[in-house]
Amino acid sequence: VRTRFHGLRTLARGAVRPPDNDSAFLLDVHRRAVPQERMARYDDTYPVDIVIVGAGAGGGTLAQRLARRGWKVVVLEKGPFWDPDSDWVSDEAGSHKLYRTEERIIGGTDPVELGKNNSGHGVGGSMVHYAGYCPRFHPSDFEVRTRDGVGEDWPISYEDLKPHYERLELELPVAGEYWPWGDPHRYPHTAHPIAGGAEIAVEGARRLGIEMRVGPVGITNGSFGNRPHCIYRGYCLQGCKVNAKASPLVTHIPDAIEHGAEIRADCMASSIELDESSGRVNGVRYIGDGVERFQHAEAVAVCGYSIETPRLLLNSTSRRFPQGLANNDDQVGRCVMVQGAPQIAGRFAEELRMYKAPPPEISSEQFYETEQTRGFVRGFSIQTVGPLPIDWARHVLADGHWGPALREYMRDYNHWYTLGALSELLPLSENRVTVVSDVTDSNGIPVARMDYSQCDNDRRNIASAKRTIHDILEAAGAQDILTIDRYAHLVGGCRMGSDPQRSVVDSDQRVWEVPNLFIADGSVMLTQGSANPAITIMALASRLAERLDLKRLDAQASRPRPRRVPLPPLIRAGGA
Amino acid sequence: MARIDFRQAGHLPNNRSGGQPGSPDELPRQRNGVTPQMHGRYPDYNVLDEVEHWDRETRQVVMARVEHLPPIRLFTTPEAQTLGAFCDRVMAQGREPKIPVLNLIDAKLFSGKREGYRYDDMPDDAETFRRVSQGLDAAARQHGARAFLGASHDVQDAVIQAFADGTLHGEVWDDLPPSKAWQVVMREVLSAFYSHPWAWNEIGFGGPAYPRGFARLGVGQRESWEAVPAFERDPVNDTHARHVEGT
Repeated sequence: VRTRFHGLRTLARGAVRPPDNDSAFLLDVHRRAVPQERMARYDDTYPVDIVIVGAGAGGGTLAQRLARRGWKVVVLEKGPFWDPDSDWVSDEAGSHKLYRTEERIIGGTDPVELGKNNSGHGVGGSMVHYAGYCPRFHPSDFEVRTRDGVGEDWPISYEDLKPHYERLELELPVAGEYWPWGDPHRYPHTAHPIAGGAEIAVEGARRLGIEMRVGPVGITNGSFGNRPHCIYRGYCLQGCKVNAKASPLVTHIPDAIEHGAEIRADCMASSIELDESSGRVNGVRYIGDGVERFQHAEAVAVCGYSIETPRLLLNSTSRRFPQGLANNDDQVGRCVMVQGAPQIAGRFAEELRMYKAPPPEISSEQFYETEQTRGFVRGFSIQTVGPLPIDWARHVLADGHWGPALREYMRDYNHWYTLGALSELLPLSENRVTVVSDVTDSNGIPVARMDYSQCDNDRRNIASAKRTIHDILEAAGAQDILTIDRYAHLVGGCRMGSDPQRSVVDSDQRVWEVPNLFIADGSVMLTQGSANPAITIMALASRLAERLDLKRLDAQASRPRPRRVPLPPLIRAGGA
Repeated sequence: MARIDFRQAGHLPNNRSGGQPGSPDELPRQRNGVTPQMHGRYPDYNVLDEVEHWDRETRQVVMARVEHLPPIRLFTTPEAQTLGAFCDRVMAQGREPKIPVLNLIDAKLFSGKREGYRYDDMPDDAETFRRVSQGLDAAARQHGARAFLGASHDVQDAVIQAFADGTLHGEVWDDLPPSKAWQVVMREVLSAFYSHPWAWNEIGFGGPAYPRGFARLGVGQRESWEAVPAFERDPVNDTHARHVEGT
């Protein structure tokens, strides 16, 4: 019986349609842009049920979930509503516009480069240019204080997010081999083929007793609705022109629009307005077409990610919150985190051409958990990275080569393969986002400053990760090895907690002291594990939507009844 | 011309005494298309032969780099000369054809494009370039030269190595952290150089791949149109195969 059940499950793999998200089927067959002809338009003066600031992993997911449940939703997004056909290119330097490149200041002893590295712009957010890795957090990530005596325990557990992970893995969809680490689980789509370099790395790791598996990546394997199969062109970080890679732009925004959400692009939120008498927020001030406007709303959710969310709160001052909204306990912006992400490249006799196949291919979470013998707590994961020429040049430069030596390494590009680590760096209170009052953006809004410094545990973790990857590449037969130190991802800055004095939001992601203000992005995270944060950000937004709808949270006095919306046809040909 | 075995890694700087590569003049001259200084490992590969297979938007962006030489608008003439000499030396572009690195950087900075972050102890990127221009002259003077421009290659190399090591000091460098300035300047230099199709020819990069994609992903595999490395063919029979016998 077991075998038969397993056989049926395997047969059904990739054929299961997510039960409550039709995004992939609402896209057009003949063009990549999200159809917007039927999108609702709300008047600024109409108090919608919720205004969501930011259309990335958190905001996109929250909008879809709430719109499905009949909420009237307006999403304000600073950047454009991308059309992958006309806006994106198959080119590194030409993809500059995908990144948030307005001024921000970085400081601390280990400053973190922003922009291309971790900051999104436009509908879809930074998932538009993330590599595509979608690993779940481990159960241990939610209780690091109890287990390891560092950081903070989350006020929720892995079990609270697990059903949302499972739902999202169907929606993105996630492809990969059976996952033995953390809470073991399988993925709805089978693993993608891997390129030659990854085969060599898997074998090198095996010789050292290290297991690497294919996936998990948010890239459809086979066509999925009207999203075509991946063509393995290697430009995941430049925006997927194919629509094969998951981002909210293709996974949640189409369904949100179909259910009455308005995505208002090119609109920069400048402040959230508080009604001093009731202590509730009543809308968001924003700049669209160069004009200041104000959208009335019954509730507000901020989804601007770890830098823009604190910035918006700190720039929203009032009599009740003179130091910035939600900041009376001086917690906004604190404990912002990044992952250590060194990359180590090995040189091999054969041509490997690492620009082919998606950068996310294989990974290992064997070193994810604390091992006392290593001399530091928490751990790291190992993943493929496939640098294109400009990134490869920065890698070579970082190893100390310029001039003729740099040109020589660059000419050798096709013989190299690169692995990267994600090292869990610990939350530190002095790592913080603030606003700089005397530096303003083009709209006159004070810009953000991010200070970041590592602690000893962080340095030991990164050093251990680099050694491990070095060993894998050597075991695989590398003839030369080059290393670059860098960071990846942003989380924290408005963390959730059970103590109002040490957190910004409660376990329902509701801002302490403001009953109808929520935060639904990576900034609420207390720790980050060594997993890429995208799917966890989505899962948190998905959970928040569920709790809002179950009336566990009374964001609104009264809510309209959910509308019945007919299912769209399976295939919609353009113009037909 | 000595035959180099690229299955081995003896040509790589880390595997050579002194840490410097052999002369690129040991490599074949480019026979198809252009590479910077016309040497490379894929003499018959020209990524621009594939332009018709690229989507229109990508084609426009990439071809603009080849077809239009942006004028210098941001930097003054003396700044442009000093920075141009620096770009040539740091990218080992000793002779034509050269990728116009400084023109591409000037165009980007002039248009107001930035990278989305500024170190708290650094000025705006454009101002960083200006101060680096002054700082290169200051450092060259410390070596007894009149300026960076026109200094001997030994002096220029010593200045650049100190810049890379973060050990420049005095005058401009007392206010401008050299390591961060190196990061900012080289980020732009490398982005400009390796965004250019001539550099892709030199390194055998497949280039834009939409909507065609890649199908041959395995060890040692390549698409029918991808670069064939030099020395992989027998040079005697090769002249038959390529119909260039007797030339």
